[in-house]
Amino acid sequence: MNAYMQVSGLDHRFGGLHALQDCSFTIEHGRITCLVGPNGAGKTTIFNVITGFLQPDEGSVAFRDRRLDGLRPQAIVHAGIARTFQNLRLFADLTALDNVMIGIAGQFGEEPIGAIFRPLHTARAQKRRRHEALGTLDHVGLADRAHDVVRNLSYGEQKLLTVARVLATGAELLLLDEPASGLSTGALDAVMALLRRLQGDGKTLLVVEHNTRVVQQIADEVLFLHQGHLMAQGTPERIISDPALAEIYFGGAL
Amino acid sequence: MDFLYTYIVLAEIYVLLGLSTNLLVGIVGIFSVSQAAVFGVGAYVVAHLMMAADPLSFIPSLVIAAACCVALNILVTLPSLRVSGDYFVVTSFGIQLLATAVFINWTAGTGGANGLPGIPPPDVFGLSIETTQQYVMLCTAASALGCLAFWLIMRAPFGRLLRAIREDETAVAAAGKNVLRAKVSAAALAGAFAGTAGGLYATFLSFIDPFSFDLDASILLLTMIVVGGARTLAGSIVGPFLLLALPQVLTLVDIPTTIAAAARQLIYGLLLIAFMLFRPQGLAGERL
Repeated sequence: MNAYMQVSGLDHRFGGLHALQDCSFTIEHGRITCLVGPNGAGKTTIFNVITGFLQPDEGSVAFRDRRLDGLRPQAIVHAGIARTFQNLRLFADLTALDNVMIGIAGQFGEEPIGAIFRPLHTARAQKRRRHEALGTLDHVGLADRAHDVVRNLSYGEQKLLTVARVLATGAELLLLDEPASGLSTGALDAVMALLRRLQGDGKTLLVVEHNTRVVQQIADEVLFLHQGHLMAQGTPERIISDPALAEIYFGGAL
Repeated sequence: MDFLYTYIVLAEIYVLLGLSTNLLVGIVGIFSVSQAAVFGVGAYVVAHLMMAADPLSFIPSLVIAAACCVALNILVTLPSLRVSGDYFVVTSFGIQLLATAVFINWTAGTGGANGLPGIPPPDVFGLSIETTQQYVMLCTAASALGCLAFWLIMRAPFGRLLRAIREDETAVAAAGKNVLRAKVSAAALAGAFAGTAGGLYATFLSFIDPFSFDLDASILLLTMIVVGGARTLAGSIVGPFLLLALPQVLTLVDIPTTIAAAARQLIYGLLLIAFMLFRPQGLAGERL
């Protein structure tokens, strides 16, 4: 039996910058794994490679024994992995509900022929999907903002909405890029509670996070990345108490 | 009375073109300045099929023209998948100039600058459309169907997908959607609208020449969308009716006919600039 997700020997260069160097790790089903490391360590590059936005120069990504490298982003979502973005990338002119509904897979009327020639069927299917999306919004705590346009939502609400959008895809492995950064204490607690809830729902989470307090509270496992290479993998206590890693993380060592 | 009917017919044909342009430019955000070229191809194809030695009747000609325009519009929109935003405008501009050059110089196919006269009137299921009044009914039916299709799309998941693509293609791909397929579908639909408009236009005037499908015409279409309002059905209807009324109003003003055309262009240009500056959402639309 292989790992739930196995990342092996990833290598990626941006011109002269060696962003990922022989990067390998595994992720276990049902756990919250935090990806930490100093700025420029390659955390977002890993997300981009896993989700098909970047093709690795070398190495492979296997998810539930299926090779994912070389697939397009939408195929990877269908395989069960969805991501958020550090800069959110919400559809600012659409409502919160519409943002979530974009994520729902296999909707009838998503191409013009069905939409024009079977309008009643489209409308009925839409109604069910809307119900589904409202449930997802409720799950992240945004039920009362469903019909608000995204640009009128607070930053914390927008962060929750990005999670709702990946949930709507039905993916089981969620890659969250800094879900807790820039949040007030109250919003931070809401996000952490949500991540715990998602774990309870059976989701597996890979989370990029800078805040060590958040990492300590939510992570089952920590991956420490430095200069595109996996330096250490272990429990949060072990990683955070390692003086060599702290030295790298908080500056000094180059 | 015929004067009014002619205005209505032309405005309704331009409503179809407005829908086509609004779908691409307003909703998907593919800034095409070559929709008049596609319109022209539709017109020439219908003219040829109906004037052939073995002529086709109107409906099959229209279907073939629409199919040609679907293919053509997909082709001319494809660069937008590689080059984005401002760069696509330049590409699209080139496509429009190329089309105009072909319309003018391919004398055997298009009659060149002299145009193509003698296009027969349409027949719909055995009924010949000859009076302007009958034309009004035909074009009203066609534009109503176009508007219905547009409305259905905008309330379906497809419409939402297209709006999301305009805002952020990467996020749409991350949500598991096929951006390429959605853009190609939108281009196909816009092509079908433009081709149908071309066929109606050719048979209504019974004469077409390259100057109805040049860059000025493409810019007129954009002006209609900006003035009427981007991204809405109402905007696609208001724009054509308003802007095509302008030449009629100008005939009431006492200006020499030699400068009437120039005056019209001047007013169109001023309207475009004024709306972009002071009311980018148009009369009945959303901010472009």
